[in-house]
Amino acid sequence: MRETIRAVLGLTPRPAPAPPEPPPGFRDPDEPIISFRDVHLSFDRPILQGVSFDLAPGTTKVILGGSGSGKTTILRLILGLLKPDAGSIHVDGADVGHMAEEDLRPVRMKLGMVFQEGALFDSLTVGENVGYRLVEDGNVSEAEVEARVREMLGFVGLAPFYGRMPSELSGGQRRRVAFARALVARPQIMLYDEATTGLDPITSTTITDLIVKVRDLDGVTSILVTHQLRDAFNVARTFMARENGEFVPKVVEDLSTLEGTEFMMLRQGVVEFKGTPHELQTSEDPYIKEFLS
Amino acid sequence: MASRTQLLILSLGRRLSQQVKASVLAVQDYVLLTARGLAALVTPPRYQRELVTQMDSIGVQSLSIVVLTGMFTGMVLALQSAASLDAFGARPYVGRLVCISMVRELGPVLTALMVTGRVGSGMAAELGSMVVTQQIDALRVLGSDPVRKLVAPRLGAALIMVPLLTVISDTVGIFGGSLISIFNLKLSWEFYWRSVGNAMVINDLVMGFVKPLAFGLILSSVGCYMGLNTTGGTQGVGLSTTRSVVVASVTILSSDFFITKVLLILFPVA
Repeated sequence: MRETIRAVLGLTPRPAPAPPEPPPGFRDPDEPIISFRDVHLSFDRPILQGVSFDLAPGTTKVILGGSGSGKTTILRLILGLLKPDAGSIHVDGADVGHMAEEDLRPVRMKLGMVFQEGALFDSLTVGENVGYRLVEDGNVSEAEVEARVREMLGFVGLAPFYGRMPSELSGGQRRRVAFARALVARPQIMLYDEATTGLDPITSTTITDLIVKVRDLDGVTSILVTHQLRDAFNVARTFMARENGEFVPKVVEDLSTLEGTEFMMLRQGVVEFKGTPHELQTSEDPYIKEFLS
Repeated sequence: MASRTQLLILSLGRRLSQQVKASVLAVQDYVLLTARGLAALVTPPRYQRELVTQMDSIGVQSLSIVVLTGMFTGMVLALQSAASLDAFGARPYVGRLVCISMVRELGPVLTALMVTGRVGSGMAAELGSMVVTQQIDALRVLGSDPVRKLVAPRLGAALIMVPLLTVISDTVGIFGGSLISIFNLKLSWEFYWRSVGNAMVINDLVMGFVKPLAFGLILSSVGCYMGLNTTGGTQGVGLSTTRSVVVASVTILSSDFFITKVLLILFPVA
């Protein structure tokens, strides 16, 4: 009867019910941990145009590109700080592009982010900054928070700075504190936004060694956004090796043998290149050649 | 030639409509932020430590300027009103006039304007700096809601402290008026304070309490809104700070008229 009425009124039949959605955070182990599919985003101009890529668990992606090419925007989209105009973004099975702010908290707990200038809270001490997420979580005792914070500060070589204020730190020390803050909740994925920009070569190497340590010792998936080629290649070619009971950084000279790190280059919001460090270095693309020169 | 004029009018019209649309959207965002901030005040989790810190910043640290402003306003009011009342032989009514003026109008408005200058601008500058240094993004990434963590405590603290500061300002202003009345106008202490006591009715107290509540909400919500909508780096922080003082001051003064109008209808002067 209802069908007849609908037919007379010229109404289209109701679409079949959609298959049930997997619960947020569900991901097939074979699927990528981060997946971008044809992502578009514009403000007053196009920022990202059809960006697609996958990131397998435990691997590293280095996103290169000039200023304003959309590198940082990708990280902000992964964190759910921005929503795409079109396309889909999945982080560990959760569709962060279409999730409400209050639902994003469990996804963000899996992510650690090192902001460009550290983004430390000026009104809190170094210790309070590092332990912020644990305190906010509310499930960790005060003693455990302090122990974890001290452990993390020790990991980044800033154990004596526990009670200092961020204003008393140098640029490199701020990044290392930001690093400890991002790591304290033991995230599955680390995002680095220009973590070495504006630092001297020695401090940059300290930071890149930390990135490698976290990647190799904890198996953390990483995305490194940078326009510092030296640091990008450092991360790709360095690995941690055990020597006399201690882990020390070692460097692979032959780029063609490297595995586990993929480079992606953006140009005005479009993916210009995707491939291994060796493929990037030997690319004949004039833009890439100019960028690398 | 005609087509060029048409194009010009069309372009002006388009720009105007964009401006209007942007203004309407800004008002909508402001109302939403304020509503979310107020809702966060009454729902868990609450940041009590932040609330106490803000109460100290808004209340305790503004005390000196509010006391000074109230005192001198009361004193000048007594001087000015005595000069006018003398023409009618009504000098004994100075206490009544100072009291009513302070409680109903000058206390709430001047306190709100002083707190706006000191605290509203500070809120905009602090939150604006947090925006440009990505601290707000960091808060969100680390699992905090910036509205709950930053906006709600500021709204709550202003709603509590601005009325309290106004009461202090009113009291100090009336006291300042008494000093002028006694030492300058040669009125007796008892006479002045009896005149004040006789003048004050419940309607005055309602008006003297409702206004600072509204003004506290305006100055804190405008400060937070301007701060959180900062763009353009450190230059943008300066711009937000200036804007927050101008917008909050104008809104306080204009809303004062409407609140007075409504309260006079609800609680008419006997």
